[in-house]
Amino acid sequence: MEVERNKRMRIDVDKLPMKRLLAIDEIGNEQFPPEKSNEEQRLSAIHRIDFSLVVEKEKEKEKEKEEKDKVLSKSKDGQQQQQPWQGLMENLRQAQHELSVILDLISTVEANDSVAVAMMQRPKLLPNEALADFAVSAATKVQRLRHLGKYFKQCSKTMELQVSKEARFYGSLIRLQQNWKVKRQRMGISEGFTFDLFDSRSLSGADSTVMTRPSPMSTIIIDQDPSGMLAIQLPQKSCRTLCLKFLGDDDSACRIKNNTSEKKASSSGSDIAQQPSVKEALSDEDVSGSIGTTHSILRDIHRSLFEEKVFEMVNREAFNNQSSQGINVTGMRQDFLQLVIGQDSSLCLSLVLSEPERENKGKDGSYNEDGSESGSSSALAPILLPADDKNPTRSFSKLALSSKLVPGLQIYLLSIVHQEALSRAKEGHSSCGSLLAHFCMTVAHRVFSNKVLSILENLVSRVSYVELVSHPTWHSRTSSWSLRLKVPEASSVFDGGYQKPQTKRSQFLTKVVIKDGQISLRGQSSATIVASFTGDATEPHSINTYTCDLEDLPMLILHQVASQVIQWLHDEALVVGMKTSRDLLCLNVDLEQGDTLSLMARVDPDDASVCISWALVIPAVTDDAVNFSFNQTDSDNPGLKFLGSLSLESLYSALMDLANFCGNGAVC
Amino acid sequence: MNKAGAPSGGGAGNGPTASAAAAAAQKQRSLLQRLDNDISNIVDSFSVLVSVSRVNEPPVRNSQEAFLMEIRASKLVQSGDSLLKLVSELKQTAIFSGFASLNENVDRRIQAFDQEAETTDKLLERIGEEAATSLKELESHYYSSVSRNFVHE
Repeated sequence: MEVERNKRMRIDVDKLPMKRLLAIDEIGNEQFPPEKSNEEQRLSAIHRIDFSLVVEKEKEKEKEKEEKDKVLSKSKDGQQQQQPWQGLMENLRQAQHELSVILDLISTVEANDSVAVAMMQRPKLLPNEALADFAVSAATKVQRLRHLGKYFKQCSKTMELQVSKEARFYGSLIRLQQNWKVKRQRMGISEGFTFDLFDSRSLSGADSTVMTRPSPMSTIIIDQDPSGMLAIQLPQKSCRTLCLKFLGDDDSACRIKNNTSEKKASSSGSDIAQQPSVKEALSDEDVSGSIGTTHSILRDIHRSLFEEKVFEMVNREAFNNQSSQGINVTGMRQDFLQLVIGQDSSLCLSLVLSEPERENKGKDGSYNEDGSESGSSSALAPILLPADDKNPTRSFSKLALSSKLVPGLQIYLLSIVHQEALSRAKEGHSSCGSLLAHFCMTVAHRVFSNKVLSILENLVSRVSYVELVSHPTWHSRTSSWSLRLKVPEASSVFDGGYQKPQTKRSQFLTKVVIKDGQISLRGQSSATIVASFTGDATEPHSINTYTCDLEDLPMLILHQVASQVIQWLHDEALVVGMKTSRDLLCLNVDLEQGDTLSLMARVDPDDASVCISWALVIPAVTDDAVNFSFNQTDSDNPGLKFLGSLSLESLYSALMDLANFCGNGAVC
Repeated sequence: MNKAGAPSGGGAGNGPTASAAAAAAQKQRSLLQRLDNDISNIVDSFSVLVSVSRVNEPPVRNSQEAFLMEIRASKLVQSGDSLLKLVSELKQTAIFSGFASLNENVDRRIQAFDQEAETTDKLLERIGEEAATSLKELESHYYSSVSRNFVHE
């Protein structure tokens, strides 16, 4: 309170702090309100500000703006086009702002400053922008799916090819496994399959402990061509086959032609390269054909291996048992063996290339003649034996016969070796002794029996009433034939008036049996030839058996036949009541008045046309009935009437004519 | 086709030893496991592919899903390839390890070949008899023929 001199006083009265009064409690202590933080003080200060005036001002401004906008939109159309651009500009500004924020963020991070990012809010998209984004996403996804679709198609094609290839390959392998041994070989990283054609069985009887080494050809590598078909790699070593022939006979077909296809399944690459477009066109028939071809090739190789083993066995036996079992070796070198068969034949065994291999090598010009045939470059040259040309009438065509014999002999050799191997495998022991000795004896027998056959055919061709009948024995060292002398029936000879009883027999047989080079004759005759020389008359109608040599065979047979004819004539003469007696080759007829007429047979094996000829001899007229000769003419010896070669009917007629002269009650 | 490693019909006592049977069973289990894995991989990959084919709004997620689809597709194809290899392996096992079937096949072939050999022997025998008969007939025809008699007349 100030007292002014003008006698006026102003009193300022402070308001009563009601809040403070109210805050004083009964006791008298003042309860001070809690202290406020700076924020709360700030906020409370802000709340005390009156913003109503400002709000009113803002509202007025907005109204003015709206009015202005309405005026502008109504008046000018061109300004409307700026709105979308303005929107775009606005969006770009916002984008620029966001990018600047991001760049700031990046620079802050690069400066190793820590940044606290509270929130990033994506600007709300307009509907068309959202749909555009969605469309782009959908298109992208569709494109991805299409790409995947193509990828799956490609993979499915590849897998189908793979499946079909594997089906073909394993199907072929399983089918071939039914007949061949398949092995799996792991060669380093890669794995492969092979056909194992090795046969561990030893073919040698004596050396059963000899272990046979597997040939390089016995392992065939299995390959797969691009089309999935099973293919085999042919071995480097060529297939060889066993060749059998007689020395000096180069034309004999010593190799059995294999009826197999010469098409190779596959080689290293040339055949595969020729089938680029076959992948898709392969059918079951193609696969079966390929399997068949592969099977044939394997069979050829297996056969070649077996024949090599056979040759090895033969070689070993020839070397070991040369002198003991009658095996005569005259030539031996690599892949070549020469044996003497009998006395004048030489058999050559060799291993030669198979025909396709030889053709291929011949084309290349690199054919090696060593080991193939009896060339002159061998260290041990084969010995050539002189041919038997002493008796051209008895000689036979070696070439013709050898060409017939050789294939059969080769088959027989392979067959007996195979049988031996089988029997050893089953029973554990060999069924027979030396195979080579047996084979040599078989060959000798074959050659010898051919000679005998040629002699018999020669004889039969010159004697009209003798027939040659073959008796197959089905034994490798036994051959048999019969010489049949068919005598005419009595009723067929006579015509009208004569009543003749039937003879007991209609034929005479002479059996020729050959066993291992030994000829045995078995026949019925009035007397044996041997007995005729010794003068010992044997029982008539006896069956005689005797052996002879090849040189004596024709003579003995002719004697046999002639004696059989004499026997028959004698029987016929007895039937008609004639008094006759017989000798080996002579029929003596007792005539009237005590005379005797002899019908004599003359045998000459060397005669080109006639072997048996006949003559009538009257011993009473001839000076020397014993020492007459068939070479004498009728004029030289009046008691001899040479009749020549007569048929049986003619002989019978002659006999019947003689019956008229018998006069002993003979019925003629 | 026999299952890989399956023991022979006679049981472990008659055929392979116990350890071999155990190994075979283990091999069988592993192969079945591989098969199950491959099949399940294929199924899972395909189901993921189908589920991921939906188009989502954020483009970033679509790119992610695109990569996922490629991976799953590769995995599907790889599982298929693995199945093919499994089949090849099974075929090889059948060829080389199916001893029961191999032995059975060998016995069957032996029987077939024995029968074939017997048939061939009978056939050869018959051929021989027919050849002998024919030879006899031919000889009789020849020796009774006019030409042979004409030569000798």
